Amino acid sequence: MASGADPGDADAGAGPEAAGDALLTTDNLTKEFDGLVAVDGVDLAVERGETRAVIGPNGAGKSTLINLITGLLEPTEGAVRFDGRDITGLAPHEIVQRGVSKSFQTASIFPTMTVRENVKIAAFAAEQGSFRLNFLRGRDAYPAVEELTREMLEAVDLLGDAEAEARNLPYGDKRRLEIAIALAADPDLLFMDEPTAGMSPEETRSTVDLVERLQEEMGLTIVLVEHDMEVIFRVADRIVVLNRGEIIADGTPEAVQDDPAVQEAYLGGVEL
Amino acid sequence: MSGDERPDGGQVGVVDEELGLLDRFVELKQRQWFLLTGSALVLLVLPFLMIDGLSVLSELLTGTDDFAGYAGLPSLVLVFAIVVIGFDLLLGYTRLLSFGHAAFFGAAAYGAAIFSEQVVASPLAMVVVGGLVGTLLALPIGVLSIRRSGVYFAVLTLTFAQMLFFWARSPGAWLTRGSNGFIPDAELTILGYRPDTPLTEALLVPLPETVFGTVTVEYVLVAVFALLAILMAYRIVNSPYGLVLEAVGQNQQRVNFVGLNVFRYKLMAFVISGAFAAVGGALFAIHEIAVGGGVYPDSLYWIQSGDFVIMTVLGGVGSIAGPVIGAFVFEYIANVINGASTVLFTGPLQPVLGEFTLNFTPIWRLVLGGVFVLVVAFFPDGVRGALASLARRLSDRFGERRREPATADGGDD
Repeated sequence: MASGADPGDADAGAGPEAAGDALLTTDNLTKEFDGLVAVDGVDLAVERGETRAVIGPNGAGKSTLINLITGLLEPTEGAVRFDGRDITGLAPHEIVQRGVSKSFQTASIFPTMTVRENVKIAAFAAEQGSFRLNFLRGRDAYPAVEELTREMLEAVDLLGDAEAEARNLPYGDKRRLEIAIALAADPDLLFMDEPTAGMSPEETRSTVDLVERLQEEMGLTIVLVEHDMEVIFRVADRIVVLNRGEIIADGTPEAVQDDPAVQEAYLGGVEL
Repeated sequence: MSGDERPDGGQVGVVDEELGLLDRFVELKQRQWFLLTGSALVLLVLPFLMIDGLSVLSELLTGTDDFAGYAGLPSLVLVFAIVVIGFDLLLGYTRLLSFGHAAFFGAAAYGAAIFSEQVVASPLAMVVVGGLVGTLLALPIGVLSIRRSGVYFAVLTLTFAQMLFFWARSPGAWLTRGSNGFIPDAELTILGYRPDTPLTEALLVPLPETVFGTVTVEYVLVAVFALLAILMAYRIVNSPYGLVLEAVGQNQQRVNFVGLNVFRYKLMAFVISGAFAAVGGALFAIHEIAVGGGVYPDSLYWIQSGDFVIMTVLGGVGSIAGPVIGAFVFEYIANVINGASTVLFTGPLQPVLGEFTLNFTPIWRLVLGGVFVLVVAFFPDGVRGALASLARRLSDRFGERRREPATADGGDD
C-alpha cells in the first residue's frame, strides 16, 4: 500500500470503490506520532457536490486527518488524491492552488487589515497564482480582483463592513470573514473546522444558512468537522465517524445514528 | 451574481463600488505625486534647515552654536534613511527582525570602494556595483535564514554578518586591507564636479545662496537616490505584493492557506530590503571617500546592524516617514551631540541649568539610549507616532469646526 503514489494503481483502486464522482479520495491514509497512531488506514471518498460531516469523540483523529489532506502534516503511509491527481506531500499553498480551501477552528484572519483587504489577499492568490512580484500597479488597480472580492463579501453578507478593521468585528462575523477568505481562494472543496464553535444560537443559524447557500449556489463540496448534531443533521448529506484514528461508520445521518458501533464509541468506550 | 435578484440595494451597491474604485485609483495617483514633490522639496531645503536652521535654534537655546549641523550631516542622514526605509519593509511590514543588515550595507560599501580604485571612480557605477554585491549576498543569506523565524532568524542573520566582519578584518585583508580600512586611491567626481562643490556653483541656473549654499553635488546625488528609495518603498507598500507582505506579518498560516508561497514572499522581502541596505552602503562609501576617508570593517559589525534596528524603531515602524525621522534623530545625536564635546550653557537655558558644563563625547550612546527608551516607552509608533498624535491634537483643537464631518473617521484611527 505504500506504493499508492503509483498513478495507475491508484486509479484502478478508486474505480470500482467509488461508484459516484469522487472529488477527494484518501487511500490507506496513516499518520503515526512517535509510535502513536493518530490516523489509521483511512479510506475516504468525498463526492463532488456533497456536504460531508466528520465526527468522532475528542482525540479521534479528525484534525489530524484534515491536516494530512490539506498538507499541514505529511502522512506516514497512504495517499491523497484530489480531482484525479495525487496531492500527497504537497505544501499547503500548492494544495490550495489546486482547489482545496480551509477555514480554521479559530477565526484565522488578518486582524489589523480592513475586511476588504482580508478577502483581497485571497483573491490575488486565486487570480495570480502562488507568487508574483508585482509592485508596479497599485493594490486597487486590478478590476478582476476587486470584483471577486466584492462577490465574496456579498456572499457572506459583509459588504457593509468592508472598510472596517477586521479585529473589530463581532466573533461570528470574523468566522464569516474567514469563510469569505477561504472562498476567494476559489476552491472546489472547502474544509470547515467546527464552523459554529463558540457561536450564539443566532450566529449558528446564520452560519448554517450560509453553508447551505454555498453548496447550492456555488456548487461547492464541503467537508466539515462539527460537534453540534443539530447542525450536522441539517447540512450533511453523509457522515463519517472516526474513533481512535479509524473509520467506524460512513453513511447517511440516519444510518449512522442507528449504528451500534457509533453508539458504543460515543456512549460506551469514550465519554464525550 | 446575487445582486441581480435584489434590484433596490444591489444595483446601487455596484455603482458605489465602481466609483469608490476609481476614486481610490485617482487618490493613489495624486498621493504619489504629492509624496514625490513634497519629499523633493523637503530634501532640497534639508541642508539649510539642518545647518543654518539648527544653528539659529542652538544659539537661541544655549547661547552657543554647538548643536548646529555640519556640512556632511544631511547626506549622511539620507544614506541611513535609504537603508532603514528598506529595513522597515522587512521589520515593520513583514515583521521579520534581521540582525545582520550590516552584511549587505558593509559588503556594498566595500564593493563600491574597491571598484572605485580598481576600475573607475564613478559614483553612479559604484552605486550599481555596490548595490549588486549587497543584493546578491542577501539572496543566499536569506535562503538559509528565512527557514527559521523569530529569535533563530535574528541570530542566523547576525551570525552571517559577524562571519563577514571577521573575514574582512583579517583573512580577507588582502582585499579589504583589514582594520586599516579601505581608503581608495581615487579622485571622485560627480558629472565632472568634485563632490563638495556647492550646487549653486555647479548649476547654470542661479539659486539663492542663503538657502542653497550648503547643498553640495554629493548631497544631490544622495538625495536623488533617497527620493527613488521613498518612491520605490511607496510603490511596494501600496502594491498587491506589499499587501501580501503585510499579511505575512500578521498571519502566516492564513497566507499559506489562501494559496500563497510564504517562503518566497519572505525571501523576496529580505532581498529587497537587502538591496536598500546595499544602495545605502554604496552611497556611504561615496560619502566617506569624498571627504578622504574609506570603508572599515565596522560597517559590517553587529553594532551597525543594531543601529539600523534602533533607527527604525526610534522613528516608528510600519511607515516610510518613520525610518527617515529615525535616521535623522539617530545621526543627529551620534554626530552633533557627540561632537558638542564640552558645552557651557550660557543662553536662555542658563537659569534652568546654571553655568552647566557637560562633555557629551563619552556619553552620546547614553543620550541616544535615554531618548530611545523614552520614545518607545511612551510612543510605540516612535517619533513619527508622537508627531502624528501631536498634529492630531492640534488639529482637533484648532480645526474642530471646519473638520466636523471627518471627526468620526479621524477619531477611529
